[in-house]
Amino acid sequence: MSVDRSAIGGPAARRSGRGAVLAVVAGAALLVGWKLLTVIGGYPPFVLPPPELVAARFVGAWADGTMLPHTVTTLEEVLLGFTVGASAALVVGYALARSTLIEEAFSPYLVAAQATPILALAPLIALWFGSGILSKVVICSLIVFFPVAISTMVGVRSVDGQLLELCRALRASRRQILIRVEVPGALPSIFGGLRVGVTLAVVGAIIGEWAGGDTGLGVLINLARGSLFDTPLLFATLATIAIVGVSLYVLVVVIEGRLVGDRD
Amino acid sequence: MKRFLLLSLALVPFLAACSAGATAAPSAPPAPSATSSTPPTKLTVGLGYIPSVQFAPFYLAQQAGYYAAAGLDVTFENKIDPDLITLVGQGSVDIGIADGTSVIPAVSQGIPVRYVATIYAKFPNIVFTKASSGIHSAADLRGKKIGTPGKYGSSWIMLQALLGSAGLTTSDVNVQLYPDYGQAAALAQGAIDAATGFVNNEPVQLGLAGVSTTVLTVDNVVPLPGNGLIAGVATIAAKHDALARFIAATLRAMTEITADPQRGLAASAAIVPDLGKDPTTQLAILTATIGTWSDAYTAAHGLGAIDPTAWQKTVAFMASMAGSPISGPAPAVSQLVDASLLAP
Amino acid sequence: MDATATIDTADRSGHRAGPAIPPAALQAIDVSFSYPPSDGRTTNPPVLEQLSLTVRPGEFVALVGANGSGKSTLLRLLAGLLPPTAGRIEVGGERLTAPDRRIGLVFQEPRLLPWRSVIDNVAFPLELAGWPIAGRRARAREMLDLVGLEGVDDERPHRLSGGMRQRAAIARALALEPGILLLDEPFSALDALTRERFNVALQEIWRQTGTSVVLVTHSIAEAIFLADQVLVLARAAAGIVGRIEIPFARPRLLGELDAADVSGLAATVRELLEIDDGGAR
Repeated sequence: MSVDRSAIGGPAARRSGRGAVLAVVAGAALLVGWKLLTVIGGYPPFVLPPPELVAARFVGAWADGTMLPHTVTTLEEVLLGFTVGASAALVVGYALARSTLIEEAFSPYLVAAQATPILALAPLIALWFGSGILSKVVICSLIVFFPVAISTMVGVRSVDGQLLELCRALRASRRQILIRVEVPGALPSIFGGLRVGVTLAVVGAIIGEWAGGDTGLGVLINLARGSLFDTPLLFATLATIAIVGVSLYVLVVVIEGRLVGDRD
Repeated sequence: MKRFLLLSLALVPFLAACSAGATAAPSAPPAPSATSSTPPTKLTVGLGYIPSVQFAPFYLAQQAGYYAAAGLDVTFENKIDPDLITLVGQGSVDIGIADGTSVIPAVSQGIPVRYVATIYAKFPNIVFTKASSGIHSAADLRGKKIGTPGKYGSSWIMLQALLGSAGLTTSDVNVQLYPDYGQAAALAQGAIDAATGFVNNEPVQLGLAGVSTTVLTVDNVVPLPGNGLIAGVATIAAKHDALARFIAATLRAMTEITADPQRGLAASAAIVPDLGKDPTTQLAILTATIGTWSDAYTAAHGLGAIDPTAWQKTVAFMASMAGSPISGPAPAVSQLVDASLLAP
Repeated sequence: MDATATIDTADRSGHRAGPAIPPAALQAIDVSFSYPPSDGRTTNPPVLEQLSLTVRPGEFVALVGANGSGKSTLLRLLAGLLPPTAGRIEVGGERLTAPDRRIGLVFQEPRLLPWRSVIDNVAFPLELAGWPIAGRRARAREMLDLVGLEGVDDERPHRLSGGMRQRAAIARALALEPGILLLDEPFSALDALTRERFNVALQEIWRQTGTSVVLVTHSIAEAIFLADQVLVLARAAAGIVGRIEIPFARPRLLGELDAADVSGLAATVRELLEIDDGGAR
């Protein structure tokens, strides 16, 4: 009896690399457009530096040790903040999914907290928690919390009721249902939230640094802009931030591939 | 047209470099009068981020009609320092008030601005402590907790210069960061021993609250240039006479406010109503501000005069700093300063 | 007919299921059921009223009825998934109050966990019951053999056809060696030809395991082919309107049943179904 492989390519198509080629082409087009813009617009380098100048500054900043300590600090803040925020969100999201009462009681406050711009809260948080790493971790956790909590709630609720009836018929305990069915069933949705959360964590770390900090890529942006008047360095720092964000996102996607796997 | 202007702006640093070394003779300033046949020249003027009584000269010149009489149509914009310098360099803002020490790294990065008139002859960033603290000089700061908003900007440069005068570096003191500018409150509560601030701000506020302070200034250590007017190189070329008349009208207002501070207060309140709300505080701030407008050099050379020796020493100091903000070779004074808009 | 054949439960895992076939296997005694009211209503109309049935050990019973006759509800009551509003369900003489390991259940949909391989799906009940890994893989393999699924142990369910998934579901239902197997229209999603093959396969599985079977179906032909006894349910709450013994010898082959006998039985069933139809013809 043979397996039905008539379904579309699935993983094979994903690994074909066509997407990667397109990404490179798009990147090249972006660079060319940027260069054209600086040439045609005639912008001075302190307003819009051309890509080759930014690239040179990027390489220089890494080579002379400027970029590394700031990157390490921001990365620490992101990883800690993401871990704390996502962990809390998984628990809360599960509670929201399992209890309509909890959801009705707490969602209004969750949504209100989410709607308050973190940019406004960040200085207050820096006031309460100091300008060390703690306030950055708090800000990151807050910004990560909502998307992960909601995606967890949605994911747990989306677990097929028919599977839950199956579990009842097989006399599964509450804990067994949670671990063997609800969590695996909710994982695709949870990972959707984690993807969003990890990129937001980077934003949170930068905002936290703007509210007060000694090192970090956000601090370096401020230094480049307000103290050094070094616009190419500013762009190089932005590029580093983008690379950090993309790398973390890819990491989450890879982990997702291992844990969620091939389902449909 | 904009494209031509931007392109020419890009060429200007080359032209400026070519003509470096040739000092331009200051031209005779035109009398501050307007011919009725030509329309007034529009000028966008960038002031600091928050409207403040320290900008009283500008408010008075506007309100008393000095700018109008000089054939100028002046609009004020409130921008923070980094943005202002870039905007002036681009020509989007014609003239603005900016910290002198920021001009040096900006010019070293190729931003085409020039410092054209001194407003604060004495450097306004200072270190202040409680009078009861026993701290009377830079040497007394060793090992003390010093609050500052961040490890960058004019306060940081001032602090390093001050400590340097006693042979100290920032690692010889305990720096505490107050990114929310709460260092004055922290000092009042005894959380720190000293703090950086502005001579016309924190010590004045503390004094009004009954806390007397000792102020350490950097003027006798390194003559850092205080806030002054900056303009883009292209703007100076295109609107030379208008800018000169603007400066003359502003300096005139400064002279009058020095003699009668109440006129400055009234003009500020007229233009920015919020500034009329607490006359006692505002007068104290204005008085302290007036105190910075003149020093020995301006007494000898006139209000607004720029001291090239002070700039030279400052460039040398900043180039020697650990983590110097100057990029590449240190700029020459002629690349930083243009005195041609001042009356001779 | 020989209905007491059992599979060899000689055990490689250290777990021995007890005597898997209880006496007087499964009984419904005067069972009534209505769904609990949702807010605002005081009572729902009864789906079943005072219904009784008996399944003898090793017997194959088919429940035939149109949609809405309550046959799926009855099956869930027999499985212990729903509590009777009145009356009781008994397994081996003991009252049934909750799902029981002596009862295996196959739903209309395969309901396999999409993130697990086929063999891990079949092993799922064993895992829940605390079996060690080696033992459960061995048992799962046995069950997959029994239902005729080869070479797909490590595939994800979405790669299998509908029929293969349903076979896996049957294998899973049999993993704990239940004495009773309940199936709720298990083949209704399959095409007619596949369905016939699965009927043959189910008969074979039943013969090898010797479990009592209750099969809910809306296919008269399927019921007659497979069952020892066909129970006909009419519209909700009307109860069992007919019990028909199917006398054909085992093993039954598709082509060998006497056409006249089959169509005669089928006609009887149809009559019983249409009696409550209002008699329109």
